[in-house]
This record gives sequence, C-alpha cells and structure tokens, in this order.
Amino acid sequence: MEDGNEEREKLTLVARKPCFGLPTACPTCLPVYVYLRFAHLPLNLEFNLIHPDSDQIPFVESGNYVAYNNERGGVIWSLKEDGIVDLDSDVRGIPEWVSTKAMVESWLADAVMYELWVGSDGKSAYKIYYSDLPWPIGKILYLKQVRAVKQLLGITSENAERREEEIYRRSTSAYGALSSRLGEESFFFENRPTSLDAVVLGHVLFTLHALPETSLLRSKLLDHTNLVKFAESHKAEYIDANSSASVPESDPSTSASRRGPSQWSSKPKSKPKREKTEEEKKFRRRTKYFLVTQLVAVLVFLSLLGGSNDAEVELEDDDDALNYD
Amino acid sequence: MAVPTESHPHLGQPENPNLSDPSPEPDDLDDFEAEIDEEDNDESEEDDEESEPITPEAQMRVDRVSMESLFKRLSTERVPVRVHDVLIKGNTKTKDFVIEAEVEALLKNATTVQQLLQAAGVANARLQQLDIFDSVNITLDAGPPELPGTANVVVEVSEAKNPLTGDVGIFSKPEARSWSLEGSLKLKNLFGYGDLWDGSVAYGWGQASEVSAGVSVPKFKALATPLTARISLLSQDWLKFSSYKEKALGLSLGLLSIGNHDLSYNLSWRTLTDPSQMASHSVRRQLGHGLLSALKYTFKIDRRNSPLRPTRGYAFLSTTHISGLVPDNRSLRFIRQEFDLRYAVPLGFYHAALNFGISGGFIFPWGRGFLNTPSYLPERFFLGGNSSPVCTLRGPTSILGFKARGLGPAEPRRQERGNSNNESSDASTGMDFIGGDLAATAFADLSFDLPLRVFREAGIHGHAFACTGSLTKLTENAHRELSFQKLRESFRCSAGFGIIVPTKLFRMEVNYCYILKQHEHDQGKTGVQFSFSSPL
Repeated sequence: MEDGNEEREKLTLVARKPCFGLPTACPTCLPVYVYLRFAHLPLNLEFNLIHPDSDQIPFVESGNYVAYNNERGGVIWSLKEDGIVDLDSDVRGIPEWVSTKAMVESWLADAVMYELWVGSDGKSAYKIYYSDLPWPIGKILYLKQVRAVKQLLGITSENAERREEEIYRRSTSAYGALSSRLGEESFFFENRPTSLDAVVLGHVLFTLHALPETSLLRSKLLDHTNLVKFAESHKAEYIDANSSASVPESDPSTSASRRGPSQWSSKPKSKPKREKTEEEKKFRRRTKYFLVTQLVAVLVFLSLLGGSNDAEVELEDDDDALNYD
Repeated sequence: MAVPTESHPHLGQPENPNLSDPSPEPDDLDDFEAEIDEEDNDESEEDDEESEPITPEAQMRVDRVSMESLFKRLSTERVPVRVHDVLIKGNTKTKDFVIEAEVEALLKNATTVQQLLQAAGVANARLQQLDIFDSVNITLDAGPPELPGTANVVVEVSEAKNPLTGDVGIFSKPEARSWSLEGSLKLKNLFGYGDLWDGSVAYGWGQASEVSAGVSVPKFKALATPLTARISLLSQDWLKFSSYKEKALGLSLGLLSIGNHDLSYNLSWRTLTDPSQMASHSVRRQLGHGLLSALKYTFKIDRRNSPLRPTRGYAFLSTTHISGLVPDNRSLRFIRQEFDLRYAVPLGFYHAALNFGISGGFIFPWGRGFLNTPSYLPERFFLGGNSSPVCTLRGPTSILGFKARGLGPAEPRRQERGNSNNESSDASTGMDFIGGDLAATAFADLSFDLPLRVFREAGIHGHAFACTGSLTKLTENAHRELSFQKLRESFRCSAGFGIIVPTKLFRMEVNYCYILKQHEHDQGKTGVQFSFSSPL
C-alpha cells in the first residue's frame, strides 16, 4: 500500500491509448504530453480506455491534486496557475506568439477534428477511441461523436462542401504561416520550447502518423518540409528517448515510426470522392423516379382491374360454357 | 326435472356398479339407480312431458330425495368419475392453449368426484392469477350418454373489458436498491397469449429514477415456465457518497421461475460519470462505459410467519451473479455471491420474539489479469443506511446507526490546490466511500409488544437490537495482507432500542442507536434515527 501511495504522489498524466507509434494517439492529449516532456518533469503515463466521450481527459494528477482539461482553460493553463510548471512566462507578452497560438488552437484543431471524424473513413478514430470498448457500445458512441463534431463545426448537408473547402483553405494558410515563422530554427520563439511548440508538435505528429495516407490534410502538411523535420527531430529527442516501455510498437501494420522525412508519401483522393458524390446523387434521383413510376403503374393497373372485374367474370363463364360443349 | 346448477355434478348412468367401490349400500344404490333411470327416461322424452303421470309436487319431492342421497353418497364414498372433455367458452381473444395449459392436466388427473371438485377450485384460482380475466366459472356437466361414468368440464371465462390499467404506488425494486414511487400502465392480453405489457416510471429515494417497459408471458407454447422481458433506463446519483453518477440501459430476461429457483439474464450498458469533478483516485479510474452480460440465479426460502414482524420461522436467500458471458474480453467480468440467513424464535410472553440474522457476500473479477484488476465499483458491497435488517433480505447491506454507504474503505477526494493550507475544512466531507469486496453483517433483535393495548392493536411494538458488520477489500492483491486478526478488527458494532410502526406500505422505526465501535472515516452517529423498510 505504501508503494501505491508513493506512486500516487508522482506526477501522473492520464491520457488515451497509445498507437500508431505515438505515446498517446489522441490529438488533445498529445500536446500535453509533449509539454510535460519539454519541461523535463518525471512523468507517469497512464491510460483511460473506457471513456472516449469525456472532456475531462487528459488530466494530470499528483496525490489528491488533479488538473482536468475542461477546467480553467485546459491542463497547461491549470499547471501554470497552480505553480507546477510554466514554460511560457517570457513569451506570453509577445502578440505574435498569442496570435499564432490562437490560430493553431482554432484552425488547425478544427481541421484535425474534421479530418478524423468526417473527412476520413473513421478507422483511425475507431482505433484510438473505441477499440477497447465492446462492439455495440463503441459503434453507438462513434456515431454519436460524428454527429456532435458535425454540429460543432456547423456542417449540414447543404453547406458540407463549402465548409470542407473553408477548413482546408484555413489549414493551408496556417501551415504556410507556421512554416515561414519557423524557418530553419528549432523552436518558434526565442529558441526555447513553449506551449506553442508543444501544440504544433502534437498536431504535426498526429497528422503525420495517425491520419491515413489518403488524407488531404496530411498531404498539405507534407508540402512544408521544415515542419516535418521539426516534428521528427523533436520526437526523437524528447519522446522516443524517454519512451522506453511506454510506447508499445503494438501495430506492425503501420511502420510509420521508422520513416524518415524523405520517405513520407501521400495519396490524396479528394477529387474522385467529390465526383463520386455527384454520381451518387444522380443515381439516387433516378432510382427514386423509377420507383415512383412503378408504383403509379401498379395503382393504375389495380384500378383498371377493379373496374373491369365483371367483364372478366363473364368471359370465364363463357369459356366454361364452351368447354362443356 | 330440476337441472342441477353450475356447482352440482350430474352423473351419467352407471350401468355396472364399479366393483372396486369399497362399501356400496345395495338399498341406496338400487334406489339411486332407479331414480336415475327415471331421470333418464325424463331426459329422453323431452317433447312429451305430460305422458308421465306425476304431479309437480311429487316430482319435487322425488328430486329432493335424490339430491340428498347424492350428497350423502358424495360425502361418504369415493364416487369414481373420468373427465371426458374440457370445453372452453367465452374466450374471444385468448388462445385456447393458454387456458388449457393452466387447467387441463389438473382436471384430467382427477379420478373421483371429490378430487374433481378440488381440482376445479384450484384451476379457478390459477386462471384468476393470470390477471387477464374479469371472471372465471367452472361447470361440471354430464359426459356423453354413450360413455358412462364420465363428466365434461366447461370453463367459461369473461375477458377483461378494459385491457389498459394504471397504477401508482410505492414499491421496492432490486435494481434501484432502495424503494421508490412508481407509476405504471399495464396492457393485458394484447395478443391473446395471456401476455401482460407494462410501462412504468419510478422515482426513488436515493435520487434514483427509472423508466422501463416489460412483457410477461405465462406459458409460451411448450415451455413450462413463464417468460418475462424488461427494458429499462436507470439513473442513480451517488455524488454525495462516492462522487459518481451511474446510468444503465439494460435488457433483462426472466428465464426460469420454478418454485424457489429463479434464473434471469441481464445485458446492460453502464456509464459512470463524475460531473462534480471531485472524485477520488479509485473512482476516477473507473469512470467510463462498460458492458455487463450476466446470469443471475436466486434461491429463496421464506418460512417465516410474517415478513414485517417475523416471530417464528426461518428464511434463506442466496444470489449468484456471474458476469462476462460474452466472448468479448472487453466486457465486465466478475463473480458475485451473497447470501442471507434469518431465524426467528418466539419467546411466549408479550408476543416477543428473538430474531437472528447473518448475511455475507463477496465479489471478485475473473479473466485475464484478474489478480490485479479492481472489482467493478457499482457492484461492490456498501454497508450502511437506514433500513432494518430484520425485514430486508437483500444481502449484506444494512447496519443501523450508520448513514447510507457510511462505512468501509474510503479514499480522500480531490483537493483544490489553493486550499492546501486549510486542510481541516475539507477533512470531514472530503471522503469517497468506495465499497468493499468482502462483506459480512450479523444482528440480533428482540421484539416485544408494548404494554398499552392501543399500541398492541395498531401493531406498534418495541425492539432492542445489536448489529455488527465488516467491509474489506480483496482485489488488487489486497487479499495477501488480509489476516484473521485484521478481519476481526474490521468489524463495526452498534446497539440500541426503538419503536416500530408498521403501516400498510412500509415499516417505520424510530430508534436510538449507540455506536459501539467504528473506524476513523465511518459516518456512524449516536442518537435518534428514523428508518424505513419495505419487506420486499
């Protein structure tokens, strides 16, 4: 019991499950993990596999102290307020830092959310969030989450294409801005890691490793090689060096973690998808017309048959009479 | 001639007196046969009554004499009879086999008239119990004239005119673990299979609420046992005690219900959340979704003379709960066993009785890595609460004197960083009771009548009691540190006396409890307390 208490006193981050070669594969948990790694704090990493729809995760606990993600602006802000760790003390006053952070936390976060739940086939999302829940629960929660994301992003059946274009356009300009801000440096501001670096690193690692190769967002990111290099070098230094047993290579099918920057490939298939939806719509319209005509024909036939019933009966009688003859 | 009314049998003509008949009195038998001959002659000549030269008064006298001798015979001898056919009338919607299944075997097994009358009474009661008929009449009639010694039974039912009934009441439901105010609508016999559909809404004492709908079918085709199915959405609030809220969407099927045995299957989706964000460490680790697929077997014997104030008899209840019956190893897997034993001894004076009881239970997970996984939090045992252990047969749950969930393993809740200087302000309320894996309770209760007659007539009586209980953790390797010494030290005790007021719906007690022994974080309070229990 005493060992357990000592364990509980250490700083523990509870996040979602690790996969795709990342210590935690959830896009909200990964930046927090990276931030704590930047701060060189001794960290325990634990996982919650059964509560995918909770906004309390990720949370940091130490003894009886807990910093939830849905309080006071997030875990990173709570850690600063409670005096545990603060990497942004020098840069918080720089307006460019503030606006870059705001851009990343709104445009790029929306883009990742869109790509994960709406834009792709959902296999990545299923693997990260629902693979440890029994099938019926996982399926129902996934469908609920897709609907919630569409509501959050303001996507309806009428404006779906327009919103998608807008989201991709914004992410393209965000990547361009980040790339030019970073240049050849290793950090964005003052050559030191800040929470902005943690958030960007988390986003880039997630987009490169967890999204499928057909993802449009991923292919847009691959256009900016300095961002990819930034991600790969910091991953090697801060994450893989500390990982030891906490990052299981449990997925033999994705060998993404072994690739270097020159080996990233992308197969965007957005255009064929758009044509397909138009074809689908035409097909559905034609099917509807066909079914309606069939129904009308059946109704007409029945009404004619009902009217001419007597005539047919007489015909039969005549036939019988003929037979008897 | 006087045709017998519905409750009187009319025998077919016995041509050959039964040789196995124990003591036939020849005179009576000859008279009887002669009278029956006359009556049969009367029956065959339906059209021509006036050919018989008997006055109406004489006819009545003859009939009365024959009836009297018939009754005399029925009361003294075993009059053999065989049931030829069971006719069912009056059922427009109900399927024939539903009624036949309840009564046919019973009636056809009767070999004498007395047995037949008894069987008819039992069959009537069974049909009334189906709760789908307004009235049931069973008539015994003569069999076909060519088959002597036979009788036909006519079952006439009148189906309920209004299939929809509503009900509001206070009940105790095992799912809610406390009792509740419930409103329900019942739809009877919708498909003619004797099916009862009901939908109900219940609001419970411990901030529990439930919406459910169910169907029960008494006998479906060849199955010998009634089937029930129920879908329910249950939500319970334990924030004050254990910092979590529980929501369960479940389907339960009653598979077998024969005699003392009961087997049911339950499939439910459970979600634990913590909107207060103050949960302790163990509770935080258990928040989330889970799938429970479990079989529950209950064995119950209750031979006490009264569930509200038992003075004689014993009762035994054993419940076994095995969960994790789907091949998916991500569902919740545990075994839970609890039992209750009660014994009441009458003492002879002042209507006094001594009641003893002992209850125990344990829960343990199974499956891969079961030695290191914690047990499922809502299914653990929690002791405390204000229900009397004398009436309630629900496993180890109650010790008088302690608040609900007021004893056992407890963990400190989350502490705000800013309040780390004011530790004392949070100390008393900042504990979550997380329940235990091994529970045991025992009690002794002496109940007696009060000297005033007005109390005795109202059923108000007094009692003195002593209870003890213990709750310990077994999982996550805690069982290695458990020794006999530690187990003995983990027992808490309380004693007291009080007055019991039984009402039609529940049993109310006013008790003075004195806590003899409690542990550091337990919430036992010495003083006057009210306690409510219902005998279900």
